[in-house]
Amino acid sequence: MTLIVESGYDFWNPIIWLIAFAVVMVIVYFFRRRGEGKYKKGEDQAQIFLCGEEVPGAEQRQVRGGNAYWGFLETLKEYYDGIVRPHTGIVNDYVVWFIAVVAISAIILFVVELVG
Amino acid sequence: MATLIGHSSILIIAVPLLIAFLTPLIGMASKKARNAVVIVSLAFVAFLVFALARDVILNGIHIYTLGATFPGLTIPEGTMVPVRIILEVDGVSVFMGIIVAIVSLVAVIYSLSAMKGETGQNRFYTLLLLMVGGTFGMVFTGDLFNLFVFLEITSISGAALIAFRTRFADSQEGGFKYIVVSAIASLMILFAIGLLYAQYNLLNIGALAAAIQYTMLDRIALVILISAFVMKLGGVPMHMWLSDTYSVAPVSITVLLIAASQASMYALMRICFTLYGVTLDLAVVGWIIIAIGILSMFIGVTMAVRQTDITRLIAYNCVCEAGFMLVGLGVGLAVLGDVTALRTYGTAAISGAIFHVINHALFEGLLFLVAGAIFYRIGTRDLNQMGGLGHTMKFTAMFFLLGALASSGIPPFNGFASKILIYESVYQFNPILTIIGIFVSIITLAVFVKAFFSAFTGASLPKYEDIKEVPKSMIAAMTILAVIIIIFGLFPGLVVDWIVRPATDALVGQTSYINAIVGVIP
Repeated sequence: MTLIVESGYDFWNPIIWLIAFAVVMVIVYFFRRRGEGKYKKGEDQAQIFLCGEEVPGAEQRQVRGGNAYWGFLETLKEYYDGIVRPHTGIVNDYVVWFIAVVAISAIILFVVELVG
Repeated sequence: MATLIGHSSILIIAVPLLIAFLTPLIGMASKKARNAVVIVSLAFVAFLVFALARDVILNGIHIYTLGATFPGLTIPEGTMVPVRIILEVDGVSVFMGIIVAIVSLVAVIYSLSAMKGETGQNRFYTLLLLMVGGTFGMVFTGDLFNLFVFLEITSISGAALIAFRTRFADSQEGGFKYIVVSAIASLMILFAIGLLYAQYNLLNIGALAAAIQYTMLDRIALVILISAFVMKLGGVPMHMWLSDTYSVAPVSITVLLIAASQASMYALMRICFTLYGVTLDLAVVGWIIIAIGILSMFIGVTMAVRQTDITRLIAYNCVCEAGFMLVGLGVGLAVLGDVTALRTYGTAAISGAIFHVINHALFEGLLFLVAGAIFYRIGTRDLNQMGGLGHTMKFTAMFFLLGALASSGIPPFNGFASKILIYESVYQFNPILTIIGIFVSIITLAVFVKAFFSAFTGASLPKYEDIKEVPKSMIAAMTILAVIIIIFGLFPGLVVDWIVRPATDALVGQTSYINAIVGVIP
């Protein structure tokens, strides 16, 4: 019984990973300690600065979930049009997909049997 | 104690079923007493499951024949075949039992607060216990007809629970879709069982496995069984019901639905590895399962990217994760007849898939509980309406981050441990499958970055400034899953050695399962 997982090709030991992670964290902390130490919480230097413009409220500043990855979705619009179309939400269609899978799988098995 | 363990397999099924019918009576007298009885009964069942797991791992397959003079008497005097209801619990059955035990206990603890304001709680807990009993039955039975019966119990109670909050139209629609899909799957499974019974006059899985010839009718039965169970576990292209139902059920029920889907995954494994085994066209059936797995991974994750409903997003991620398991199992099945390949990477692929089954139940369960916690507090699942919740719901935010990292396969969490087993073993079978898997994991991380960013980060929105953290029982339920995720992530070797490898050996070792039934002759 060991603490590592072996895949037959390689192994995974999270304890070694954690030790390595801790070492990296110590190095990061060392560099951070050498940084500027004059930051004061709650003063003007902590406020948002938009080139002197008025900062909008939190509701307006928030990037919403629907806006995230807009470019990704727009670039793959054709792909998404293709895969969203079968998701009709109609339960009859769900059953049709089941029948299709049964039919295709059966054909594959029988063709292989005939060829083999 | 030995007597208790001897009868544990039937008690694990019977206790939830019995308490299910007592719950309304106790609930009429006292709600607190009802809640206490439900929790204590499921805790007792969990204790029995762990005791049985220990016994199975140490002493081998556990047989329980109902109505026999002693539990091991599988073939009665005067008959040549097993005719009674037989529970056959091996490494993989008990592995699934552990999942159901953990998930059901967590679901009930979470429900104490989450369902507090709902009417008809007596019915809720009755249905929940029926579903738990049905799921345990599915994974413990050694009989195909019983598998169908327990699948029906799980499906009917599951549909009722999805539609439980009748004030939401989408819940009722989700319940309707679930019962239609489940009924179609169940009837087709019954038809396939009929095909096997007509030829062999047997319903016991072990006895059937010993007799099966892989005739034309067996092939038809196989195709129907695989397709029906893949639909029940949400494999593409039969996955569309999953996002419609998981997203609208009370989340404690969604967690149980995940366990029920995993029970269908178990049934698929049992059919392929134990019932048909090496008689199959292994490469062809293996590749069919791999193809469904790859489609599930890719379409699941790309559909998740575009979701703005947090529960639908997680539901599509469930489809994606099911794909990982199917790929691992498919590879294991494809090389089942090749001893060298099986030893080199086949068993590791199966182990990875099995390990991912429990990891999936844990981190997806946690993510759904977090989504439910958000809905509980702000009354919406729409990511466009959320923002800055991490300021006030710190524990919930932490739990989401943990579940998201585990699901994305980020080290050192449990999802990484199972995925790396799948990646490295599958790579030796076909490197392209691993490349697709890694790509899908990266997209999964992007999906959860979007969800976490939208819901928890940013400035605190004025309308949510007064929002508080969810009640303690909901935090406790999430904590249980989070702790198990961390433990499984830090000590994956122990999990693999204790429960995953015995499950893998049980799947690969078809002969042991058969001998446990047909080998015991009075």
